[in-house]
Amino acid sequence: MQTLWTRRATLAAAAVLATAGSVAAQEVIRIGVPTALTGTYADLGDQARRAVVFAVEEANAKGGVAGRKVEARFLDTEAKPDLARRQAEKLALEGFKLLTGTVASGEGLAMGPMLQRWDAIYVSTINKANQITGAACQPRMFRVNRLDASDGAVVTPWLAQRKEAKWAIMAADIAWGRDSGASFIKSAQANKRTIVSENYSPFGTNDFAPYIQKIKDSGAQGLWVALAGRDAINFATQARQFGLFDAVFTAGVSFVTDNTVKTLGEASKGIWGIINYSSTLDTPENKKFVADWAKKYPGTEPTNFEGETYIGMQVILQAVAKANSVKPADVAKALAGTTFDTILGKQLMRKEDHQLVGPNFFGNVGEKDGKLKPIITMSVPAETATPAPDPACKLPG
Amino acid sequence: MTDIAAAPSRSRNVGFPAVLAVLGAAGCALPFLVQSPLLLTLMTQATINAVLATGVGFLLRQNGTVSFGHAAFFGLAAYATALLIKFGLPAELAIVLAVVLPTLLALLLGVVIVRITGVAFSMLTLAVAQAFHELFLKWRELANGDDGMAIAFPAKVFGLDIAIFQQPASMFLVCWLALVGVILGLWLLARSRFGTLTLAIRENEERARYIGYRTVLPRAIIYAISAAVCALGGLLFALYNGFVSPGTLHWSLSGEALIMAIIGGPRLIWGPALGGVIFFFIKNAAGDFTDHWPAVIGITLILVTVLLPRGVGGLLVWLGRRAGGGRGE
Repeated sequence: MQTLWTRRATLAAAAVLATAGSVAAQEVIRIGVPTALTGTYADLGDQARRAVVFAVEEANAKGGVAGRKVEARFLDTEAKPDLARRQAEKLALEGFKLLTGTVASGEGLAMGPMLQRWDAIYVSTINKANQITGAACQPRMFRVNRLDASDGAVVTPWLAQRKEAKWAIMAADIAWGRDSGASFIKSAQANKRTIVSENYSPFGTNDFAPYIQKIKDSGAQGLWVALAGRDAINFATQARQFGLFDAVFTAGVSFVTDNTVKTLGEASKGIWGIINYSSTLDTPENKKFVADWAKKYPGTEPTNFEGETYIGMQVILQAVAKANSVKPADVAKALAGTTFDTILGKQLMRKEDHQLVGPNFFGNVGEKDGKLKPIITMSVPAETATPAPDPACKLPG
Repeated sequence: MTDIAAAPSRSRNVGFPAVLAVLGAAGCALPFLVQSPLLLTLMTQATINAVLATGVGFLLRQNGTVSFGHAAFFGLAAYATALLIKFGLPAELAIVLAVVLPTLLALLLGVVIVRITGVAFSMLTLAVAQAFHELFLKWRELANGDDGMAIAFPAKVFGLDIAIFQQPASMFLVCWLALVGVILGLWLLARSRFGTLTLAIRENEERARYIGYRTVLPRAIIYAISAAVCALGGLLFALYNGFVSPGTLHWSLSGEALIMAIIGGPRLIWGPALGGVIFFFIKNAAGDFTDHWPAVIGITLILVTVLLPRGVGGLLVWLGRRAGGGRGE
C-alpha cells in the first residue's frame, strides 16, 4: 500500500521524468487501437474507442498506473484484415505496442502471427472466433471477451427449452459468422433440432432480400442470427419489412446489442440472444463503472462492447502494474496465469490458451425503466460458460 | 540503330538511363540513412504501390486504354503465391509462377478484349477483375474468404533468408531495384520498334492495319506486359506482408492505381511510379488526421487534372527543361 506521501513523491518523480523527454517516453503506457472507425463495423469500433478513452482518462485521473501515464492512439482498419495488419504494424512501430480494441476476428487472426516481429501484444476484447485461443493461438495474443464456443455453451441448454424444431442460420461470411454458425449447429444437434437453411452473407451486405426469402421458404420456425454493426441493422430493418420476425422466432449473437436495439426500436422487442456484458449486472464494481461512465458520457450506459473493452483495459493496466514494465514481453508474462479484478469480479487469464475465464449471459429485449434494452434472464457461471482450453492450442511453457 | 523508331538525340539516349541509375543508387542508400523502421516500412509499401501504378500507366500510355481491373493481376499474383505454396509447390517455383500465370492469363484475355475499345473495354476489365474478387471472397475452402490467408513461406527462398523479404530495410532495396528495373525495361521497350508500333496503333489503328501490321496481338502483348508488372507488384506485396485477402483483387485498388497513374502523369514511363509514391504518402498522412482521407485524395486528383494535365511528372519535366534549357524526357 502506498502512503499519501510516497504517492506524491512518485507523482513528482513522474513529472520530472515527463520533462526529461526520452526517459518519459519509456515510461508512458502506450495503447494502440487498430479498430473499425469507418465502414460496416464502425459502430463497434466507436464503442471500443469510447471504452479505451474512458479507461485512459480514468487511469490518468488517478495519477496513472504505478506512476505511469497512459496514452492511446486510434487508427482505422475498416474491419479489413490486411488493413488491420498494416495499421497495427504502424502503431507498434510508433511505440504503441499494447494493442487492443480490434473488431473483426479476421483482423485478430491476421495480426496474431506478426506480434513477435513487431514486439507487441494484442488483447482481444471483441473477436469471438474460437481459433484466436485455439488452433491459431499465439504467445503474444490474449482474449478477455467470450468466444463462440462459450456462446455455444449457453445456447445448448437454452435451446433445450425451446419448442421450435426447424432452425435457419443467418450469419456474416467471415471467421466469426462461420464459427458462430458451426457452434449453433452443434447446439442444435445436441438438442435434436434440424437446420433447414444456412445463409452466410458477405461482410457489408446491403440487400438481404434473397436471404430473407430463402429463410421464409425453408419452413424454419426458429432463426439464429450472427450479424453485427450495419449488417445487423440492414438485415433487421429488411426482415421487419418482409414480416420475417412475425413468421419465425428469432435469436442471435451480437445482434441484439444495446446499439442495434436503439436503432430498431419496437421491432427488436422479444428477440432473444447472447448477452456478453450488460450494464444491469449487479456487482459493486460494475455499478461503480456504470455510474462513472454516465458522468463521462452523460445520458448513456455502457454497451456490451464498451463493457468488454473496458475489461480489456483493466486487464492490460493491471498487468503493466504487476510487471512494473511497459515492455510487451514483460506484460505478456504478467498476463498469463494471473487473476485480474474486473467489473465482472475476479477472472483468471488461463496460461494454457490465454483466454480470460468469465461468465456468460442470455436474455431478450424488453423494457427496463421505460427503455428498450437487452435484459438478462439466464446467467451461466464462469466455470461452465468458458469451455476447457482447446488442445489445438499449443503455447510454449 | 536502324529501326524505324525516331532516333532522338544522343544525349537523350544515355540521359534517361543515367538519371535512372543515379536515382536507383540514391534509393539504395536510403535504408542506410533512414533509421526509422516506420518510415522504411511506409517507403517499402509506397514502392510496391509504385510498381502497380507503373503497370496501369504503361497500358494507358502504349494502348491508350483505361483498365479498371488491374488489381486482379496484383491480387492473383499474391493469391498464386499463397495457394501454390499451400498445395505443396516449392516456394521458388510458386514465386515464378505467381508472375507467369497472371501474365499468361492477361495475354489470353487480351487477345479477346483489346479488340473492344473505350468505355466497353474498361467495363470488361472491371467485370473480369470483380469475378476473381467474388471467387476468392466466396470460396472459403480455397482461400479462407474475406478473412484472408497467411502465406506459409519456408525459412529460405532462393537460398536467401525469408526475413530479407520481410524486414523493411532489406525489402525496400528489393522493391526499389525491382521498380527501377521495371522502368528501365519499359523505357527500352517503348523505344523499340515494337513500342513505336504500338504507339502508331494507339494513334490510328486502321491506318496501321492498312500499312500491313497486325494490330490485335501487339495490343494484347502490351496488355500482358502491363499485367506482368502489376503481378510483380502483387508478388512483392505477398512476400513483404506474408498475408493476402480479397481486398487485393477489389476494383477500389484498380481505381486507386489509376488515380496514382493520373497524379504522376501517364505520358511518362516513370510518371505513374511517382504518382504511386505521392498517393501513398498523402493517403497515409491524411489518414492520421482524419477518417475522411478519401476526400483529400479526391481534391488532389481534381487539382492535378485541372492544373497539371500532364501530372506531377509532367511538371517536373517542364521545370527541368526550364532550368537546363534542354529537352528532357
